[in-house]
Amino acid sequence: MTDGAAQSSSCTMPPRRSLFCKYFATLFVAAVVPLILGAAVEASFGYRDQRRQISAVLQADARAASDRIEAFTDGIRDQLGWMVQLPWSAGDDAQHKIDALRLLQQVPAIVSVSLLDETGTERVFVSRLLLNRTGRGIDMSTDPAVLGARANKVWYGPVQYQRDSEPYMRIAVAGSLPAAGVAIAEVNLKLIWDVIAAIRIGETGYAIVVDDSGHLIAHPDISLVLRGRASSGSFGRIKHLVGAASGAAAITGDQGNPVVALSVQAADVGWTVIAMQPASEAFASIRAALWRSSILIAFGVLIALALAYWRAHRMSGPIKQLEEGVERIRTGQFEHRIKIFSDDELQQLALRFNEMASELAISQQKSARIERLKQFLPSQVAELVEHSHELLEGQRREVAVIFGDLRGFTAFSTRNEPDVIMAVMREYYEAVGAVTTRHEATLIGFDGDGVMLLVNAPVACEQPATQAVRLAIDLQMTVQSLAGKWCDAGHAIGFGVGVAMGPATVGTVGYDGRLDYTAMGAVVNLASRLCNLAKDAQILADPTIAGRVRDSVPLASLGQRTIKGYDQALEIFAVAPVDLPLKPPGSGQRRREKEPQDD
Amino acid sequence: MKRREFILLIGGGLAWPAIARAQGGAKLHRIFWVSTQSEPDPFLDGFREGMRALGYVEGKTVTFETHYSPGNPQALRKIVSELQRGDIDLVVSSGPATRVMTAVTDIPVLFALSGDPVALGVVKSLAHPGTNFTGSTFLSLELAGKRVELLKDIYPRLRKLAVFSNTDHPGEPLEWRATLESCRNLGVEAAYVPFCGAREIENGLMAAGKVDADALLVFPDAVTLVHRANIAEFAIAHRLPSMFGWSEYCDAGGLLSYGANQRTTYFRLATYADRILRGENPSDLPVMRPEKFELAVNLKTARLLGIDLDVSSILFRASKVIS
Repeated sequence: MTDGAAQSSSCTMPPRRSLFCKYFATLFVAAVVPLILGAAVEASFGYRDQRRQISAVLQADARAASDRIEAFTDGIRDQLGWMVQLPWSAGDDAQHKIDALRLLQQVPAIVSVSLLDETGTERVFVSRLLLNRTGRGIDMSTDPAVLGARANKVWYGPVQYQRDSEPYMRIAVAGSLPAAGVAIAEVNLKLIWDVIAAIRIGETGYAIVVDDSGHLIAHPDISLVLRGRASSGSFGRIKHLVGAASGAAAITGDQGNPVVALSVQAADVGWTVIAMQPASEAFASIRAALWRSSILIAFGVLIALALAYWRAHRMSGPIKQLEEGVERIRTGQFEHRIKIFSDDELQQLALRFNEMASELAISQQKSARIERLKQFLPSQVAELVEHSHELLEGQRREVAVIFGDLRGFTAFSTRNEPDVIMAVMREYYEAVGAVTTRHEATLIGFDGDGVMLLVNAPVACEQPATQAVRLAIDLQMTVQSLAGKWCDAGHAIGFGVGVAMGPATVGTVGYDGRLDYTAMGAVVNLASRLCNLAKDAQILADPTIAGRVRDSVPLASLGQRTIKGYDQALEIFAVAPVDLPLKPPGSGQRRREKEPQDD
Repeated sequence: MKRREFILLIGGGLAWPAIARAQGGAKLHRIFWVSTQSEPDPFLDGFREGMRALGYVEGKTVTFETHYSPGNPQALRKIVSELQRGDIDLVVSSGPATRVMTAVTDIPVLFALSGDPVALGVVKSLAHPGTNFTGSTFLSLELAGKRVELLKDIYPRLRKLAVFSNTDHPGEPLEWRATLESCRNLGVEAAYVPFCGAREIENGLMAAGKVDADALLVFPDAVTLVHRANIAEFAIAHRLPSMFGWSEYCDAGGLLSYGANQRTTYFRLATYADRILRGENPSDLPVMRPEKFELAVNLKTARLLGIDLDVSSILFRASKVIS
């Protein structure tokens, strides 16, 4: 029992937890998943919008920077255009020189200007650093600047780093008249810094300029430009990555931080303007939105946790209570009641449970009563009382009735003390009871030294006659063995049995709680009479029994006898005495002594 | 103009990362200032101003330890050993002191040179110094010839030019050679008037007065800068059109000057000092060169000289006119 309980409790523990977990998980997931899903969708859309917006802003800024750089180079180009408006004529070198000096004054980025005549010979050279020259100088007709300018009117030279540090380029412009010659300006590109540094994208974003091969031309940190070609590796990579992307590209910037960048070509000079903004700043608003969402989600998760816990607890708590209740009922505590006030099906269930418990208690009381009843009723009857009422209903059926009666009991009882009598009676009753139980007969009752047994009622059997005869034989033998013992103790007591079979009315009679099961009819009287007729150790049977058992049990006819209460004589049979055990010596004497008294 | 705007304008390209970051760090930085010039030192003042503009407070976040050894660079060698004590964050040297500082290899050294730092051997290249040295070079050498030319432009009758030079200045021979070559090209006779350091300046001027020159060219350096008023006064007194290196000379009465803006140069030096103090490696900081040159002309002096000057040839090119 204890093992079973331990086992059952160890079995019930995990499922209880799992039910709680299931409810908890389901409720939690149901609340949190839509929340997270919603936030994720919102974030992804927000990110896309933000990305598009960043692209637009960078595009605008890069375009603006590119426009400014074009304005810078266009300004130089236009200024040089002034230099080559008029054809060269003898002696106006001085005027050209003044024009060139004024150009230097006008455009700070120009370091030097060369003015060439239509043959490509240098006529005027003015510089901020070197000595000015006028008059016919070196022949530059094969210089790429001259060739380029003659071919396309305007020529932009490649970026070159003076002493591998300062970026310079040459711009050449040819006049519309070939006779006007060519003007070549050497431009210090450090001065583009003014253009680039003025561009701020957001708070910390900036623009840089690289040439076609990825060399840095302008950067807000001019020291990077001054590093010359050596620093161009990372900028070449940035140019390549940004150029390959459509729209804004998320890359690692020149300072090693993640940036969002977009490039625009400055068409004339073939440079690339790259506008970049640190990703941290560009995505600041979306990150803030994500943070807000995260906080909301965290908040929602907490609420969902609390709610799910509460709900699951509300669900599993009563179930646990019910389970405990069942366990207590199982151990017989029928007075246990479950208290659930949840105003729902669980409360209803608890109500039903309590009703069940009270009905079980009543049922248990009944059962207990039946147990007590069994002590007084034939066990078959008791069982029947317990299980079926129909069999106990009054009904007419064929039954075998067996009567047994002690011989010489009256004399014994008068001669002996009550306690001796009670001891004999107890032995006798026990023996009779044992035989009755053995043969599944119904003990109707003891009447002093007499006993009445019933076969085939209320429980039917296949061969009532045979069973009744066998019971009679067994009863006779059992009591005779007792009688032998009593005889040894000096008590001369014998035992006779009568068996009859026939229709009788069987059923319960009595009042209120005190009920008896009995049979009524001629057959009962006949059995009783036969018992009376029977001598010690004799079993008398009526013709009906005899007719039924003749084949299996040897019988001896005793001839016609007149029976009290019967109009005509009946043939009576004695169950063959051969089956009976040998009487101990002296039993004949005892029989002889007794016979007259009982008759 | 507000200080911040000024620094953005002048030193912006170099100060850019520094400005991008917050002005942080309450640490007291020790800057060792070494010079072969004598006090008062206009360069130190310019540098100090630059540091102030970058948010440094003297005595609180920066302190200067100045060491002067006028006219005697060798005397500074002893100072090098003092640097070993370890609490110096940065050395700033100007002029010949830089050469002495080559012995310093573990402390960043910022220099302001008129000559070529690669030729001096303190950096490997202008783009990548590759050493603990970086700084600014004034390109005086390249401008030396240009100054003669400008002087001839304003005073076409120039035949003999007195070249007033402090021999104590590093690169001075090179500058003299460049000047001499340019004089030859322009058909001008050069009269070399050397002097050594501040003590000799009066004697130098007296010598210059005796060479019978048409004009005076003064090499820019700290000594002549300090004594610029005297020199300008001398030039006017001797009716010599004068040419100087920096516009400060013109403010003091010099006729012409052509050169980089000193203030800009020292502001830029200050931004480099700031970047180095913030942890950048000087070997990665390219040597700076000025890209804008000022031509200043003092019309008052021109009038005082009372000689026939072709001022119109200069005026339209001048970036600064004092009248």
